[in-house]
Amino acid sequence: MMRRPLLPLVLLLALLPLRAQDPALRESLQAAKVLWGTQGDRDGAAARLEAILAALEPSAKTLDEGWTKTLCETYNWMAVLDDRTAGKKALAAKRLESLLDLDPDYEIDRTITNPRLQTAFDGLRTSKFCRIKLSLDPEGGTLTVDGKVKRSEPGFHYLLPGPHTVAYARAGFQPQDARFELAAKDTRPVDLKLARTSSVITIYASPVGAEVLVDGKTRGATRGQVPVDKSFLADRAGVKPDQLSEGFRITELTPGKHILEVRLPCYRTRRIEISEALTTPFADHELEPVKLEASRGTLTVQSAAPGGQLFLSGLDMGRVPVQDLQVCAQAYDLQVKYPTGSFTQHVEIQEGKHLTVVSRPKARITYAGFEGTDDFAGRDRILGLLSTLGNRLGEVAFLTAAKGESPKDCLARLRASRETELTLVARPVPGKPIHQIELVLATLTGEEERVTIKPLENDPLGALVARMDRAVTLVEPWAGITLLDLADGAYVLQADAAAQKAGIKPGRNLLEAGGKPVATVADFRKALAEAKGGQITVSQGENPVKLAVTQMPTELPINAQDLCYPLVLSDLRLRYLGAQGDEAALLRLGQALALMHFREYDKALEVLRDARMVSVQGVSQGTLDYYTGVCLLRMGNVYLSEAIQSFNQALKYPQATLFGPDGPLLAPLARQALQDLQP
Amino acid sequence: MSFLGTRFRPIPLLLAAMPMLTAQDTDMAERLYRSGERAYAAHSYVEALETWNQLVQQQPQSPYAAQALLALARHQLDVEKKPDAAIPLLEKLKTDYLKTPYAGEAMLLLGRLRASRSHTPAEIKEAMADFHRLVDLFPDHPLVQAARLEIGLAQKLQGEWGRALQSFTEAMRLDPASPIARKAQLQAAETLDIMGDLTGCLRMLQDLRNRFPQTPEAEDAAWRIQVRAQQRLLKPPLKSLGPWPQGRQKWLKSPILLATGPEGDLYIYQSDDDRPYHLKDGALVPAGPSSKNGKALLVPASGTAWVVSGKFGLVKEEVPQVAAPPVPSPSGGMLDPWGNVWICDPGAPAISVVGGDGAARAVPGVLALAPLPTGGAVAASDASRTLKWLDAAGQVKLSVPYGKDLPATFKYIVALTSDPLGHVAALVDGDFEGVVLWGPDGAVLRSATYKSLGIAGKFRGVALDRSGGLILADKSNDLLIRLQ
Repeated sequence: MMRRPLLPLVLLLALLPLRAQDPALRESLQAAKVLWGTQGDRDGAAARLEAILAALEPSAKTLDEGWTKTLCETYNWMAVLDDRTAGKKALAAKRLESLLDLDPDYEIDRTITNPRLQTAFDGLRTSKFCRIKLSLDPEGGTLTVDGKVKRSEPGFHYLLPGPHTVAYARAGFQPQDARFELAAKDTRPVDLKLARTSSVITIYASPVGAEVLVDGKTRGATRGQVPVDKSFLADRAGVKPDQLSEGFRITELTPGKHILEVRLPCYRTRRIEISEALTTPFADHELEPVKLEASRGTLTVQSAAPGGQLFLSGLDMGRVPVQDLQVCAQAYDLQVKYPTGSFTQHVEIQEGKHLTVVSRPKARITYAGFEGTDDFAGRDRILGLLSTLGNRLGEVAFLTAAKGESPKDCLARLRASRETELTLVARPVPGKPIHQIELVLATLTGEEERVTIKPLENDPLGALVARMDRAVTLVEPWAGITLLDLADGAYVLQADAAAQKAGIKPGRNLLEAGGKPVATVADFRKALAEAKGGQITVSQGENPVKLAVTQMPTELPINAQDLCYPLVLSDLRLRYLGAQGDEAALLRLGQALALMHFREYDKALEVLRDARMVSVQGVSQGTLDYYTGVCLLRMGNVYLSEAIQSFNQALKYPQATLFGPDGPLLAPLARQALQDLQP
Repeated sequence: MSFLGTRFRPIPLLLAAMPMLTAQDTDMAERLYRSGERAYAAHSYVEALETWNQLVQQQPQSPYAAQALLALARHQLDVEKKPDAAIPLLEKLKTDYLKTPYAGEAMLLLGRLRASRSHTPAEIKEAMADFHRLVDLFPDHPLVQAARLEIGLAQKLQGEWGRALQSFTEAMRLDPASPIARKAQLQAAETLDIMGDLTGCLRMLQDLRNRFPQTPEAEDAAWRIQVRAQQRLLKPPLKSLGPWPQGRQKWLKSPILLATGPEGDLYIYQSDDDRPYHLKDGALVPAGPSSKNGKALLVPASGTAWVVSGKFGLVKEEVPQVAAPPVPSPSGGMLDPWGNVWICDPGAPAISVVGGDGAARAVPGVLALAPLPTGGAVAASDASRTLKWLDAAGQVKLSVPYGKDLPATFKYIVALTSDPLGHVAALVDGDFEGVVLWGPDGAVLRSATYKSLGIAGKFRGVALDRSGGLILADKSNDLLIRLQ
């Protein structure tokens, strides 16, 4: 009656794919004990035990101590069950034999095992194994028998006849071993007494996984979970037991003071001073449990350009902009990848502090490779320098061709995929012998610069690197006043309406700026550069006056020796993404001037036509109109009437200047251009 | 030897431009060129020149022949100081090697040579043609910026202020941080002042100081700012600082004429020995020919003074003093930016010009002259009691009656001077007896009577210094007095 309803369960259990060391096996063992012990369901219990055996037996030799014990326990229960089942009695002895093969030190449960089986078990063990009587001093160390870790317990242990090595070790003590040969039915005492070599300090830390350093040198990381008998330490630390590590032992401490550090990313490092008393005389010490406090800061990444994806040390943190992102207080390699261009910056987030990073896409340059196979002196050197060029560049992201890709194929791929803004190709300048290399740096739209270098000269790429790393600034701080350096101080030559309204009087010296005395224009410019909060306090000897500090536009030079124009052009194009208003127009003006460097006046004109500035003073709308006229003039007589129109338009802005806020007014230049254009 | 930087590609260009040569020829030419270079570096000039000449003769079609020609020309210019010997070499380079970048450098050098020798607008146009050719044919040439500056200077010399300003700004725009751009900025600022934009001029000069401190151009800008501010913005009342240099009394012998040299240093003509001196480190150093009856002291770029003598006219050298004066009774003179000398005679119907096309300037009755940065002059006429601001052609652009804007009029101009910034100063006699300073627009900027200054003497010479002060020569007390 009982078997039928259990059959489906048995079948189900048989079909269940129980894997070795699956925690469910232990639950299954408990269930089997309950089925038999409380319900008398022998078949159900047997079926579960069989399933456990089926799962564990194939890997019996590799099981750890815990699972070995589980398997031994299963054998014990199966032997008892088999002994009570007619037709299986013979199997009971085999189960016990298997148990002894697995762990001869295992003690069967004599409360469930009948005396007959007990006698059989003891007889089997005595006939097959010899005994050693182990004495361990001190206890609590690690015992290995023939290289296999055993329970570190003094008393009897069973071994097969033959040669054996028993080793015993404990932190802070000199390890010891004993080698001997056992004959059948021998009983041999083995005494292992260890000599103390140093103090041992044990530390428990939360969270688990913290690195432990002594005097700045790592000793490893905490792991595991605090044992039950030490769980009171978790209470003391104010954490749950599963949040506190097992004891981390620090050994080999030389006598004297030491600094112990416990650290974990995202947590405040704990420094503990170990006094001399803990290192001598040699003894075991247990420190108070360490609870590391979380250490975080916040990060804001702003970006005017759309489509950026933020990565912190390679970890994807989502799209920019991000506001007040909680991050671990540590150093990161911050990267924002844009659809075009990329931004990287090394940042350090400090605990409890906020960091704001303004990100903008920076140009990517791809080194497509070296054309030609000619051999020449310095070839390896120059190839090495070119391939590692990226290590020296800060204002640009450096990429290289795919492995095995020829320069030609690489360029074709990049032109199609547009995965870069700039390309770099190297080729030898023909000659016998070859002693010059030409570098061609180009945008994908064809603006290129050619540089000739000598492979054997000292740092042949130095000048190029310097030019590529030169950041272009198109604004300068401005407070609305123009000063002159005179013998007796900084004289206010001009003040705009806002400055005059604030109280600045032209024709008098400026005496103070930003709380510091001003004797020269350089003093004022320094104070202006250091001004914070968008204003500066100045004085002409009477009441201090607050002036707004703004950023006034400046022009990009057309042919500066220290600029790399393909890169400048790419950079300005990327900076334009997401820019608005006058800033966008200024970036357009910069692009136009860079295109004028390449004498691409038609492209420059196209860019200028797309720009509009609200500002009418300094480099402003009039400047855009003036350069529109210049480009039209350069494009030939066909556009003369448009050029005249542009110069006339520029004349509508009498305060517009060239170069910067203190540059020449463009009106006389536009007038001269018009005069020259008169038929 | 070459201005060409690494970003310019001479060799591939040359190879492309030259007719086909065998590799062996090119190799030989290069060896000859390098051999010349080594000899030149070791100062074995004869050997170097022979080697380069050999290269030009034997391998005229080699890319290195152009380089050799340029090296030969530069040697004549820089070492031998024989520009006439350099000209044919540069001309050959310009015509026979036009497709090489070295032709561009030759054009610049030729243009500079011609500009330095120009005394008339027609002459300088030839120089400008060379500069324009360089800009048009070699727009990427590193010397384009220098050519733009030269074009601007030539335009400024011709009084084409607007065009000059354009050229200077073009040069600045190319590479504002280069020395050429700094020179262009200085010139642009000066041009703005000539065009009447004093504020723009001062802003640009100060900008030069701000961005490029510690450069020669910034130093130049400093005194130009200081003098303009002193004379035209601050305009403090003139006061005497007493004998100058500090406390020196009776150290001269009847000083009657003063002038400033190209670097602003003072030149003094003493009537006791009829000789000009250069005041150098506090000492008087003879600096020109002795000539009786000196009426004007002129200091050309060479630093050796010339004298306009009432007896001999323009005297440039010690002997012979026999040159017939271009006017019967010279009373004054000046040197214009072309290097021509203007000589006046109050009895003559025109101002005579020595040099250039020799065309007189039809301004009658001129007693004294002082040069203006416009290329013209300011002319004083006691007969008409007017000061006339003339342009380079002698046309009167502005006429200011004696005594205008002063508390009392004056009848005579005793001495007349000017500075490179267009300020004009005079010692005057009459109801108003003292010192008057005018701006470029003819307005009185500062004035004072000797009495109000608390000085007395026989003041015969005046000069404007680079600190905004005036130096007066006191003939009777044999000293100089400085006013500030």
